[in-house]
Amino acid sequence: MRLHFTAEQEAFRAEVRAWMARHVPKEPLITLECQWGFQQHVAWEKTLASGNWGMVTWPKTYGGRALDLIQWLIFEEEYFAAGGPNRANQNGIFLLGPTIMEFGSDEQKARFLPPMAAGEVIWAQAWSEPGAGSDMAAIRSTAIRDGDHYVINGQKTWSSRAAFADWGFGIFRTDPDSSRHKGLSFVLFDLNTPGITRRPIRQLHGETGFAELFFDDVRVPVENCLAGEGQGWNVAMATAGFERGLMLRSPGRFQATAKRLVDLYRQHQDAASPAAREAVVSAWMRAQAYCYNTYMVAAKIMAGGKIGAEASLNKIFWSELDRDMHRTAMQLLGAYAELKKFDDGSVNQWLEGYIFAHSGPIYAGSNEVQRNITAERLLGLPRVGAG
Amino acid sequence: MDFHFSEDSLLLASSVRDYLTDTHGVEVLRRLDADGAQDDAIWQGLVDMGLTALLIPEADGGLGRSLPEAALIAVECGRACVAEPLVDVAFVSVPYLLAKGDGASLGAYATGAVRAPLAHRINPYAIGTSGIAMQSVDPLRTLHAPTADTSDDPHLLNLGALMAGAQLVGVAEAMLHQAVEYAKVRQQFGQPIGAFQAIKHQLANCAVAIEFARPVLWRAASALADGLASAPVHVSHAKLAAGDAAILTAETAHQVHGAMGYTYEVDLHFWMKRAWAVQGYWGSRAFHYNRVEYAILGGSHPIGADASFA
Repeated sequence: MRLHFTAEQEAFRAEVRAWMARHVPKEPLITLECQWGFQQHVAWEKTLASGNWGMVTWPKTYGGRALDLIQWLIFEEEYFAAGGPNRANQNGIFLLGPTIMEFGSDEQKARFLPPMAAGEVIWAQAWSEPGAGSDMAAIRSTAIRDGDHYVINGQKTWSSRAAFADWGFGIFRTDPDSSRHKGLSFVLFDLNTPGITRRPIRQLHGETGFAELFFDDVRVPVENCLAGEGQGWNVAMATAGFERGLMLRSPGRFQATAKRLVDLYRQHQDAASPAAREAVVSAWMRAQAYCYNTYMVAAKIMAGGKIGAEASLNKIFWSELDRDMHRTAMQLLGAYAELKKFDDGSVNQWLEGYIFAHSGPIYAGSNEVQRNITAERLLGLPRVGAG
Repeated sequence: MDFHFSEDSLLLASSVRDYLTDTHGVEVLRRLDADGAQDDAIWQGLVDMGLTALLIPEADGGLGRSLPEAALIAVECGRACVAEPLVDVAFVSVPYLLAKGDGASLGAYATGAVRAPLAHRINPYAIGTSGIAMQSVDPLRTLHAPTADTSDDPHLLNLGALMAGAQLVGVAEAMLHQAVEYAKVRQQFGQPIGAFQAIKHQLANCAVAIEFARPVLWRAASALADGLASAPVHVSHAKLAAGDAAILTAETAHQVHGAMGYTYEVDLHFWMKRAWAVQGYWGSRAFHYNRVEYAILGGSHPIGADASFA
């Protein structure tokens, strides 16, 4: 156990810090959940790619820097400390990219990874369906083989980034007679393929970041299937593992929020309750605990270990921390909390953040499901009722 | 940066765990409860394992282990609800004397001849056998009003609070395990109660609290071992996280045990009472909270995404 950075790691930190200081936009970008904000964020992805900071953990062959996990954490710390924008390319970097690297053919890697790394193709995810939310094995959308194509029919929903993205990925039932986890396949598709209708869903904040997708005899070449027909569930579980595990939410994001919360407290301390003060201090402690835990998981993975159901503990912890921090900020802001913009014209980022924080305990597997996974797989309590 | 214990450290901890599982089971706790908590044979067993000399340098005949490793073993002492004052003697008093360069008295600690830990003013009652005996809710704690000099050295306090936190994590893990085992076998409405989500989710909350207390403890142990100026903040953070996890788990485990948890018959009560006793030992929740608050809101401790290991 050695809890300080090497000279080499500190030098890398300085390099990231210097680049971010020069390139992170001075004014916060507008939300990526609207057309113009999305374009701003895609432009930022291209800026990142120009400095080769887009996909830092990826192998160099695919446009990455082959950073180890500690370097990745340092990168993220400096990214969030510099106020770096949210990543339009999140789905590609952390979900689909690693999945293609693990399960894709050489042709698929060559075809999909470089444009993803360059920020040229932005990916949307298409998991949930109206009848398959937390219970993803209830998927009904079909992809039926017809010669060298699949013909996709059905509906996906809560498809994040889908209102504006270029391509999508999801699981579909390739064996119409199958049920539950069997007979599913992982398919990639161009969102502009004839037969796909996107219907943006207006979200809680009024903008349209995610969308419903309707598939009406959509023809997708069979070479867009990942890891072979019928492997969809396994691939999706691996993807969800990347997501819930280490990389969906790096600690820097929450440490940065906790710091901003301390600053906000200082501005409002005369009107703050003791409970709000303790919530601010607790925010720092929890963000730090999440950071230490992440470094421990990183060390475990670097020593050849894997993350399994512990990922559920992580997801519960950060999503509820995020909501609690933003709630505390709203309480500190008092009558100002409801304002979308303050007197000086600046956007009320706490309000936007509070609204967004409501999605954390729900997406990527609701926290109720995560608590079931924790109880059943980590603690060994009996499963009942689940198929 | 390498945030994990070596195989060797984990092996050491698991050998202590195995030893305590074999020799310090609940039947021993019941015997100590009936006959008096001090037991020379148990103490000698811990001495024979080398645990009293764990932190003493190899050159001086000790095992030369580190403070984080001692914390790992303190967790095991909490898990086994050890009654002997091993943690306060070997993992608090000994490293304090080592840091002070007080070599003369260390020999008696290493051999297990001294069984009374150093007293600190933050604890109105100390673990030990001299002075006026006080009765703790924890039947296995021998508590006395101190007669000897009490220290007010913050380093002793930080060591004590760190190791109290480590024991609380072990206590919490033991209670969670007992609650899970009970929920698997207790049947109601035709199924084990552990199949109900209302039970699962409460126990999952305990697992989350423990999971995120543990790394804070290692961070604090490491900061104290490295002599960082920020170590007191990390120690207080660790004591708070461990104490909160232990109290949450005690209350939850009790609820899961239903009426059985309210009896003296069920094992759980030994650990619950240890949690109640240790949560306010080596500094109350308010004391440690205030130390963190002062550093964070007062601005003396660097915070933010680029200050992870400040």
